[in-house]
Amino acid sequence: MFEAISLRTLLILIPALPLSGAILTAIFGPAILRRQSHWPTVLGLAASCICSLMLAVKWQGQLPQDGKAGQGVEEVVTLWEWVGIPQAYAPSPATGLAAIAATENHAPLDFRIDVSLRIDTLTATMLVMVTLISTLVAVYSVGYMHGDEGYWRFFSYLSLFVFSMTMLVTVSNFVMLYVFWEGVGVCSYLLIGFWYRNPAAAAAGKKAFLVNRVGDFGFALALFLMWMTYGSLSFHDTDTVAGVLGARRFAGELSFVGGGVGTAICLLLMAGACGKSAQFPLHVWLPDAMEGPTPVSALIHAATMVTAGVYMIARCMPLFVAAPQAAWVVAWIGAGTALMAGLIALTQFDLKRVLAYSTVSQLGYMFLALGMATLGGVTAGMFHLFTHAFFKALLFLGAGSVMHAMGNVIDMRRFGGLRHRLPITHATFAIGCLALAGIFPLSGFWSKDAILAAVHDQAHATGASSYRVLYGMAMGTAFLTAFYTFRAFFMTFYGPQRIPEEAGHHAHESPKVMWIPLVVLALFAALVGPMLEWTHAFAHWLQYTPSLAMMAQAAGATGAPAAFHWDVAVTSTAVAVAGVALAAFLYLGHRREVAALQYVFRFGWMNPSEAPSDWESASPHAAAVANVTRPGGHPTVTGHCPSDHPSGSHGHEHGPGLLALPARLLKAVGCGLWSLLTLPLWLGQFVSPYQMSHSKFFVDEIYDVLIVGPLRGLAHISYVLDRVLVDGLVNGVGGLPVRLGGWLRKSQRGFVSLYGLLTVVGMVLVVVVSFWWGV
Amino acid sequence: MSDTAILQNHLFVGAVLFALGLIGFLVRRNVIVMFLCVELMLQGVALSLVSWSRYHGDWGGQMLVIFIITVAACEAALGLALVWIMAQRGGSLDIAIWQTLRERDQAPYTDREVPEEDRSVEDWPQLTPAGVEPVHPREEDMYRSHV
Repeated sequence: MFEAISLRTLLILIPALPLSGAILTAIFGPAILRRQSHWPTVLGLAASCICSLMLAVKWQGQLPQDGKAGQGVEEVVTLWEWVGIPQAYAPSPATGLAAIAATENHAPLDFRIDVSLRIDTLTATMLVMVTLISTLVAVYSVGYMHGDEGYWRFFSYLSLFVFSMTMLVTVSNFVMLYVFWEGVGVCSYLLIGFWYRNPAAAAAGKKAFLVNRVGDFGFALALFLMWMTYGSLSFHDTDTVAGVLGARRFAGELSFVGGGVGTAICLLLMAGACGKSAQFPLHVWLPDAMEGPTPVSALIHAATMVTAGVYMIARCMPLFVAAPQAAWVVAWIGAGTALMAGLIALTQFDLKRVLAYSTVSQLGYMFLALGMATLGGVTAGMFHLFTHAFFKALLFLGAGSVMHAMGNVIDMRRFGGLRHRLPITHATFAIGCLALAGIFPLSGFWSKDAILAAVHDQAHATGASSYRVLYGMAMGTAFLTAFYTFRAFFMTFYGPQRIPEEAGHHAHESPKVMWIPLVVLALFAALVGPMLEWTHAFAHWLQYTPSLAMMAQAAGATGAPAAFHWDVAVTSTAVAVAGVALAAFLYLGHRREVAALQYVFRFGWMNPSEAPSDWESASPHAAAVANVTRPGGHPTVTGHCPSDHPSGSHGHEHGPGLLALPARLLKAVGCGLWSLLTLPLWLGQFVSPYQMSHSKFFVDEIYDVLIVGPLRGLAHISYVLDRVLVDGLVNGVGGLPVRLGGWLRKSQRGFVSLYGLLTVVGMVLVVVVSFWWGV
Repeated sequence: MSDTAILQNHLFVGAVLFALGLIGFLVRRNVIVMFLCVELMLQGVALSLVSWSRYHGDWGGQMLVIFIITVAACEAALGLALVWIMAQRGGSLDIAIWQTLRERDQAPYTDREVPEEDRSVEDWPQLTPAGVEPVHPREEDMYRSHV
C-alpha cells in the first residue's frame, strides 16, 4: 500500500488536501457544520501531514545511497501549462549573457509558466515542517477558538493558508512562487485581521499587508530582471530552456550571473525575503501582527509564513554565491535585525510581543547563516528554521494557553506565578524557553550552535574582520535571547501569584485539546535538534537539494558541513547561561527590573543629588509600572516589592538593591567613557536606552514621520483635489440641468392663461425668427 | 372679384377668427368660454386651409379640414367631459382655482384687490325731486371744472 502511492500522487495530495479542507469548511461551515467546522481542516491537514511524511520517507529511499557529496536530486511533476507565449523575448547577443542558452543560435525564447510541483530534500523538509506544525496548531485552535463567532471562517482561512504555504515550497517556478507568496500574504492579512471589529487588529492586518507589498515590489523587480538575464523563470530545466536553478547550470554548462546584475537580482530577492521574513527595515509588521488570534501567531508568524523568505533565499543560494556582496548584505541585515530585535524584546511587557521580537531575532539568525553563502551556513540556517519552528510554535501556543486562562490579558505585569495554575503550560513553556535560549541539549542549542559555527568558520576562512564582528553580534544576541526569554518566563510563571480579574473562573489549565499539541511540540522541540544534529543527518539530507549540491561539491569531499566547534559551543552555552542567570537574578523573587535598569540607564549613579522621586515621576515607564497596581486591585501583590520601594521618597536608598555594588564600581571605572558614549542619549532624557528599547527604537515613529506622514499628506491632498476638483466638475455638470430646471420651474404658476400667453409669445418668436433668417 | 381678392377676404376672416379666439383664450377665465375660444381658433385655421385649397384648386386642404373637424368633435366631447368633472371637483368654472397645481414654492396668482367701499361715508348722492330746480351753491360753481 505504501508503495502503491506514487510520488506524483503524494505531491499533488499535499496541497490539495488543505485546499479541499478550506473549500469544504467554507461551504459547509456556516450552515451545516457550525461548531464542528474544524473537522475538514483538521482531517485535511493531518492527512496532508501524513502524506508529507510518506513523501519524505519515499524520497529518502530514492536518494543515491553512495552518499557522495554534491549530487543534486530532484523530480518535477508538471501538471499543466499556465502561460505559454511563443518567442516572447529575443535576447540580443550584445547583452552577451552566458546565462541564456538560446543566445547560441539567437532563437527567441518562449515565455512559459508551467504549474509544476517539485520534490527535493529542501522542499520535503519544508513540507514536513509546515504540515506537521499546522496540524498541531489546528488541533490547538479547536480549543482556543471554541465559541468564536467566526469559527468556520478561521478554519477555512487556516486551511487556505496551509495550502498556499505548501504550494509555495513545492512549486518549481518563480512566478508560481510569487503567486503563492502573495497567497500567503493574503491569508496572513485575513488571519491577522481575523477579529476585524477590533480596530487594532484591522490596522495590524493592513500594516502587515502593506509592509509586505514593499518587499514584494522588490521581489517582482527581481523576477523581471531574472527573466531578462536568465531567459527563464523556472527552477528546473525544461525541454527548450535551461532553468534558473536547473541541472545544466549546476553542471557548469551555463553560468550564474554575478557582478552588478547578479547583485541587483539578489538584493531585490532579499528585499522580498525581508518583507516576508520580517527583517529590518521591514520588520515592523510582525509584532503588530500579534493582534491576530494566538494560533495564527504560532502558525504564521513563528513557524511557517515567515520562513518563506528564508526558504526562498536558501533556494536561490547559487545566485547569492555568484554575488557575494549580496550575501554579505544578507548576513549584515540578519545580524543587525537579530541584535536589534533582541534589544527591543528586553523591555516589552506584552508576552506575545516578546515572542514576536524573538521571532524577528531568530529569523535574523537564519539570515545571518544564509548570508555566509557556504554549505555550512545554509544548512545551519535551514536547521535553525526547522527547530525554531517547533519551539517557537510551542512558545506561542503556550502564550495562547496563558492568554486563554487569563481572560485575554497578555500584559506580563498583570499576572505572575502561574506555575501552579498552569502546570502543563509551565512545563512545556519551560522546554520551549530552554530551547530558544539555546541551552544544552535542546534543539535550539544545536541549531544556534551550527549557525555560530558557520559564522566562525567563515570568519576564519576569509579572515575578514566583518565576519568577526558578525560573530560577536550573534554571540551578543544569544545572550539577549536567553535573557529576554527567561525574563518573560519568570515574569509569567514565577513570583507571587497574580491573576487579573478578567480571568474570572478561567484561571486553570487549558483543555486537553490544547495541551496535547503543546506536549507534542515540546517533545519535538526537545528531541529534533539532538537527533538530527548528532548524526549530521539534517545537513547530509539537505545536501541532495540541487541548489545546495553545488556548494557541497565546492566544499569538497569531506562534505561535512560546519564541524562542531567545542569552543563555540562552550562560549554560546556560557553566554546563554549568563543570560538566564541575569534574568533569574532580576526577576525571580523580587522584581528589580525597574529599579535596576533605571538606576543604570537613567544615570542615577552619576548624579547622586538627583532625587529618586524625580525620576520616578519623570519617567513614563516607571509611572506605567506603578500603574500596574491599580488595575490589578491587589495592593499587596504588585510589581514592586515592598522592600524595594517602601515609599516613593525613600526609594533611592533601597532601589538598586543588590545592584548597588556593581553600579558603584561602574561609576568608578566607566563613568567618563560611558557618559561620552551616551552623551547624545543623556542629553535627551527621553531617549534613555531603556526607553529606546521599550519604544522599539522608534522605528514605527520614524516611519510615521518619514513615510507614513508624507504619504498620508499626499493622500489627503489627493482626497481634497478629488473632492474639490473632480467631484466639483462632475457634480457641476450634473447639477447644471437641475439648476436650469429649478429656474424654469418658477414659470409653473398653475395658471392656464399664463401658459397660453407664453405659448403665443414662443410662437411669435418662432415666426419672427424664421422670417428674419428666411428659414 | 378675382381669386386673389377672394383668398384675401377669406384669409382675413380666418385671421380675425383666430385672433379673436386667441384673445378670448388669453383674457377669459371661464373654462367653457376658453374652450369655445379654442374652437374659434381652430375654425379660423380651418377657414384659411379651405381658402388656400380653393385658391390652389387642390382638395388636400379641405380633406385636412374634415379631419380637423372630426378630431375637434372628439376633442370637444373629451374636453367638455373634463370641464364637467373639473367643475364638479372645484365647484367653479374659474380656471384660476386649478392653480393649486402650481410648483410648491411658487406664489399663487391673486386677483387684483377690489377696494372695499367705505361704509362710513353715508353721504350718498340724492336725486333732486322732479320738477324742482335744485339749489345751485354758488361757491361750488366757482371751482367745479367739470360736471
